[in-house]
Amino acid sequence: MNKDSVLLTIPNKPDYISLVRLTSSSLCNKCKLNIDEIEDIKVSIAEACLNSLSLTDKDSINIEFNIDEEKLIIQVSGAVENIPDDLSEKKDRELGILIIKSLMDKVVFNEMGIEMIKFIE
Amino acid sequence: MSFEANIKYDEVENLWVIQPEGDMDIYTSGDFKDNVIKLFEERESDLLFDGKCLDYIDSTGLGALIGILKRVNESNHKIYLSNIKPNIRKLFDITELDKLFIIRGEDNE
Repeated sequence: MNKDSVLLTIPNKPDYISLVRLTSSSLCNKCKLNIDEIEDIKVSIAEACLNSLSLTDKDSINIEFNIDEEKLIIQVSGAVENIPDDLSEKKDRELGILIIKSLMDKVVFNEMGIEMIKFIE
Repeated sequence: MSFEANIKYDEVENLWVIQPEGDMDIYTSGDFKDNVIKLFEERESDLLFDGKCLDYIDSTGLGALIGILKRVNESNHKIYLSNIKPNIRKLFDITELDKLFIIRGEDNE
């Protein structure tokens, strides 16, 4: 398999998170990942989108999948690591970050958002 | 991709039995929490969440369960969880929420 990229842009609305979950599952199926790994990635991407939904003021969220033989890299725009104290759902979002860091192999926050890596064995 | 919750009172065990079905996420958790707390306030007792039909939960759903637990604890009642699927149980482990709820069939009951 070559290096493939898939880009998904959704409106910044909770209605579209289930679409991201379905798309993520379907995409992971192509990467020879097992059911547990697919579930981990699906949950992590959804949590990254929830984070972005709460914390970005942009109209849309960009999700980028980069797939090669060794790893799956997912970037979600607008997600941030430090949740502001005045956010009403602060505790939920902190749980979200804890879940992402536990389920993915590598997690980096940068100025764009979050980058999550799952290695393919 | 849908969600509903079957809720009924078990007169034998004297507790609310709540069976969420489908995906408990940002779209569905808020109403679920409000409904459960409303019923609890009509008749205060322990709660049993039966997870056999729950396919997915996100941090918003976990937050809703914590919110329900806070209200139930205020009245000195407990929440039991049973039949939680492994993918969801994993999230309770990661977030250490397994220590806040009583999981039926395990040591902490």
